[in-house]
Amino acid sequence: MEVKLEKRFPLAVDAERAWLVLRDVRAVAASMPGAEIVEQVDANRYKGTVKVKVGPASANFSGDVELLEIDPSARRLRISATGADRGGSSAAMDLTASLEAVDGERSVLLGSSHVIVNGKFAQFGGRLIGQVSDVVLAQFADNFAARAAALPKPSATPASAEGQAAGATASRKTELSALAIVWGLLKNWVLALFGRRA
Amino acid sequence: MNAPVERTSALAGIGESRLRKEDARFIQGKGIYVDDVKLPGMLHMDIVRAPVAHARIKSIRKEEALKIPGVHAVLTADDLKPLKLHWMPTLAGDVAAVLADQKVHFQMQEVAVVIADDRYIAADAVEAVQVEYEELPALIDPHEALKPGAVVLREDLAGRTEGAHGARTHPNHIFTWEAGDKAATDAAFARAPVTVKEQLLYPRVHPCPLETCGCVASFDPVRGELTTYMTSQAPHVVRTVVSLLSGIPESKVRIISPDIGGGFGNKVGVYPGYVCAIVASIVLGRPVKWVEDRIENISSTAFARDYHMTGELAATSDGKITGLRVNVIADHGAFDACADPTKYPAGMFHICSGSYDIAAAYCRVDGVYTNKAPGGVAYRCSFRVTEAVYLVERMIDVLAQKLGIDKAEIRYRNFIRKEQFPYRSPFGFEYDSGDYRTALAKVLAAVDYKALRSEQAAKRKDPASSSLMGIGITTFTEVVGAGPSKMCDILGVGMFDSCEIRVHPTGSAIARMGTINQGQGHQTTYAQIIATEIGIPSDVVQVEEGDTSTAPYGLGTYGSRSTPVAGAAIAMAARKIHAKARKIAAHLLEVGDRDLEWEIDRFKVKGDGSRFKTMKDICWAAYHEPPPGLEPGLEAVHYYDPPNFTYPFGAYLCVVDIDKGTGEVKVRRFYALDDCGTRINPMIIEGQIHGGLTEGFAVALGQQMPFDAQGNLLGNTLMDYFLPTAVETPKWETDFTVTPSPHHPIGAKGVAESPHVGSIPCFSNAVIDAFSHLSVTHMNMPHTSWRVWQQLETCGIAR
Repeated sequence: MEVKLEKRFPLAVDAERAWLVLRDVRAVAASMPGAEIVEQVDANRYKGTVKVKVGPASANFSGDVELLEIDPSARRLRISATGADRGGSSAAMDLTASLEAVDGERSVLLGSSHVIVNGKFAQFGGRLIGQVSDVVLAQFADNFAARAAALPKPSATPASAEGQAAGATASRKTELSALAIVWGLLKNWVLALFGRRA
Repeated sequence: MNAPVERTSALAGIGESRLRKEDARFIQGKGIYVDDVKLPGMLHMDIVRAPVAHARIKSIRKEEALKIPGVHAVLTADDLKPLKLHWMPTLAGDVAAVLADQKVHFQMQEVAVVIADDRYIAADAVEAVQVEYEELPALIDPHEALKPGAVVLREDLAGRTEGAHGARTHPNHIFTWEAGDKAATDAAFARAPVTVKEQLLYPRVHPCPLETCGCVASFDPVRGELTTYMTSQAPHVVRTVVSLLSGIPESKVRIISPDIGGGFGNKVGVYPGYVCAIVASIVLGRPVKWVEDRIENISSTAFARDYHMTGELAATSDGKITGLRVNVIADHGAFDACADPTKYPAGMFHICSGSYDIAAAYCRVDGVYTNKAPGGVAYRCSFRVTEAVYLVERMIDVLAQKLGIDKAEIRYRNFIRKEQFPYRSPFGFEYDSGDYRTALAKVLAAVDYKALRSEQAAKRKDPASSSLMGIGITTFTEVVGAGPSKMCDILGVGMFDSCEIRVHPTGSAIARMGTINQGQGHQTTYAQIIATEIGIPSDVVQVEEGDTSTAPYGLGTYGSRSTPVAGAAIAMAARKIHAKARKIAAHLLEVGDRDLEWEIDRFKVKGDGSRFKTMKDICWAAYHEPPPGLEPGLEAVHYYDPPNFTYPFGAYLCVVDIDKGTGEVKVRRFYALDDCGTRINPMIIEGQIHGGLTEGFAVALGQQMPFDAQGNLLGNTLMDYFLPTAVETPKWETDFTVTPSPHHPIGAKGVAESPHVGSIPCFSNAVIDAFSHLSVTHMNMPHTSWRVWQQLETCGIAR
């Protein structure tokens, strides 16, 4: 199945520091719950894994990530990723992410992705993909912002911030938490009953 | 001496609502299904399936799976290749991959099998088999598949411009099949003052029997014998196929279909799982069990329908139909494995002129390959009859609407009249008997049709009404009992059926049949036919089916053929016994054959009622003192090749209320009148009709197999796939008329499928009738609340 996601996450961090995280594939992956870059193949290609656990079902995707374009002037990045799980699911994603400055303290992370999911995840998870990705991406944005905010202010030491994104010590979840997802789904469902979404 | 009435009821023969003999074991959980079969040393098989719909297989690595303790073997297409079993012939003249050979053609296709000590180890090992795929674009829409430049699915057929049913016009095209008179039909349309045309999609659905498919294959390497317990609706045909494929003499192949938990067409075919379990048993020399789970059953075994139909009617301005034209694009999935008589790739779809006297008719069906599972079975219907009846019953409503004629009235104007039987249809069928007018009139009177229409009219005028009301009518004719061997065969074997009756010295009997019960109550009804024919109580008649080593060769049970074909074989075998019994009676009574008359359970000397021999007396004598020159014993075999199909019919009416707020369709009333000719067991008929109506309700209001653009099946669990329970199922009202078949020995026509075939368009007609005042002429199934609500939105009347 094909999913198109257009997301906008306001960040309580300036665009410059956020860009330092965004341009670093390892840092982006590290912000994504359950995801990890395990190997850098060449300048633009990586191998990675994503662990997903929802209730009793778990999947362990492994695959390739390729950096297609990185445009510092527009603070924009394009990557493609493909992966498969041994239980019979596969996914491919094209993602364009960019940052918009709001003011010196805040920015907005814009993500536009086109995801194709095949196999069991599409068959059984199809109706949940929208809601699950909302929850996952919200966690991602939190992690991402925390990671960026942990970097030194750009005005202070711009040069030394280079390369620190991946090593930033902001707390992050290492796996997609089943409880968090279920809670997130439940919260959204209850809010939807009253006509609004979280 | 007992009175004739008492003696008749003691037999519990034809016409009695005898309780089902099968139920004692089923309601106590004592049935024996394939999964109940446990043999010593038995191993278990599980299947590695493709996660994607279309892909090239780059590699299959089985080392890791083989390392798991308890795993005996992992088989792939390459392992089956030396045995030439990596592909197998289908019933439709095509070939199907047993295990994906270099390419995957549909999601959940069988790629490899694992054989292990138990089911759990096998399942773990399935995950350890590593398959690398190179994904290809999937073709899901059959219209897209026929476009120039479309991705070619079947590379194994490259360059073949001739298929099993004539020319192939595109690499994804399977066949073109035509019936009727195109020129005369086109001329009728050119002349007609009124024509209507509609696109009707009959979506892909699945029969979804409660018991999934499976087998236990047991090859005895010492004796060279193969015994396989299998969920099969046609065990003898399977035996022939297995023998042809394996090279084992047919006499050493034994197929046993034990109790079967519903078939509905799903268990007609030969599936890769059966073949692989048999191969594994031969290779390993141990019994191998394979039983699929629900998801595997819905995803990979035979689907039904998937007909994209364009229907057209030509008519006079007062609603007399003068022409019918139909064009169909039939989505057959990745391999053409439709279960149809060999010469009919679209089955009996040409019954689509229905109950109406139409002078000119033409239909054309084009079969197309797509990246979906193969199949195309008759889901509780005779071959493609459901599609045909849906088409004509929908189109006549469309015509009525265009002309502003009442939907019952337009049927009266077009019915084949009682005196026209036997009636030759424009497609060449010879309808045996029918009385459509009487049936419809009885239904309309029973429901007070006029009052319903008045209520509907009042509701439409009331702007405050929170619901829409719809009235659906169908007056359908089925063609069942395939079939005359001059027209119908499966793999070259004529579609006769058979019965062997052995009457024992003490007056009981055993009948063995070529058919196989899947819930139809054969053990009950077959015994009733014998009871009436030869005068021994049905309670002492055992009926056995499903074991090819004991039963005579038969073509199996599907397409409502058991009663029309096997039921006739029983009557004919019983009549052979009856004829011999007469000779024995004459000998015992020391009179000539012709001096005897038959009465219920005995032969009497004409004119002297005190001198008689009961059948029980005769049975003993047959073994004790047979007449000189006559062999002892009382047995007969009959192979019945029907002279014609039978044509059951019915008139159904459905009233629905549609909630304008939610789109929910509530069935207020469903009145079903069926005419299946002679009624053998009214209670079983009633049960069959309830079952068929419920499955019809399921199809019309909820069942579908949705695919996304990548070929993922998005509804292969019972969470998504609608199986109605007692909670959802409406109340059914049933009724009947009796118009016997003139060519059937006891006049019976078959009934199990009529309620399915007849009810589906009836639900659709009712739902669409609710919108008919808003210029809506058609809505595709399933009529789920969401889809109906969208229609309410489009019409601007949703609340």
